[in-house]
Amino acid sequence: MAVINVTSGDQAVLTLGNDGTMAAPGGTHGLIVPTVQDISVGASTGSVRYSTLDSSASSAFTTVNENTITLNMLVDGDTFFGDGANVNNTIANKGLMQTSKEKTEIFFSVAFNEGDSTDEYYISGQGFLTGLTPTASIDQAVWISPMEIVVNGELSRTVVA
Amino acid sequence: MSVIRDNLITQLTTNLSGSNASVSSELPFTSGGETLYDKNMKTLYVDEEQISQDTLYAVLDRNNIEINSSSVTAYLQVDAKNQLSDINSIVSNVLSAKSVITNTITSESDYSSDYDLDAIVYTFEFRFDKTVT
Repeated sequence: MAVINVTSGDQAVLTLGNDGTMAAPGGTHGLIVPTVQDISVGASTGSVRYSTLDSSASSAFTTVNENTITLNMLVDGDTFFGDGANVNNTIANKGLMQTSKEKTEIFFSVAFNEGDSTDEYYISGQGFLTGLTPTASIDQAVWISPMEIVVNGELSRTVVA
Repeated sequence: MSVIRDNLITQLTTNLSGSNASVSSELPFTSGGETLYDKNMKTLYVDEEQISQDTLYAVLDRNNIEINSSSVTAYLQVDAKNQLSDINSIVSNVLSAKSVITNTITSESDYSSDYDLDAIVYTFEFRFDKTVT
């Protein structure tokens, strides 16, 4: 057993791409979202509770999973507004804001460690960017924004072979 | 050399021109058992900049945003028995010199005064917080 450390600077990495291969950790032309303060993987199993006359405790059955990726980041200009240069990755080219506005489905991976070497882990899927709310003030000195990926379908878990 | 100290001295020199006090670019060191502002009353001496660096935002890729907190202290000694007629203006102009330091998160100045025999020593403190880029 070992906890997964995230202090080296190349762990807990969110990569975005136009397909699953590009969005995998270390994927060619993948957009690594920089200056992420925190990231959460929400893998929520839906459930319904019901009661029966012959039991003093409620019962439950599961419904569909609702998956999200949420994070807070310091806004990087090229990432947010696009570098206008990357011809292989439209998310990098147009930026997070435009991709969200256009409701383009994106592929992503969240590497728990580095996610590109044997026995390392990552979670991947596809979904839509939303929840961008950049804010600025003198006290905070830089632009900060939350972001959410509303996952379309299941999350995939990968242990690199 | 400290850029903040240099800019402050330049601005203080401008702000105090025409007043009964002047600004020295020398450090307020001690000579012959006396600090320079003891020897040279009505002259403002600006000490070295003190800097501490902390992390303002820690991020997962370790491209952290750092913040430099700087403080600069200045000293002015005047005769307590015969106060300068424009001392209030001098104090106000010294405090407002902080505005020369730009791109700061915080910019503060204050002062305190203390008696040393028949003299009064004004101690000014300037504090600035700036992100490190």
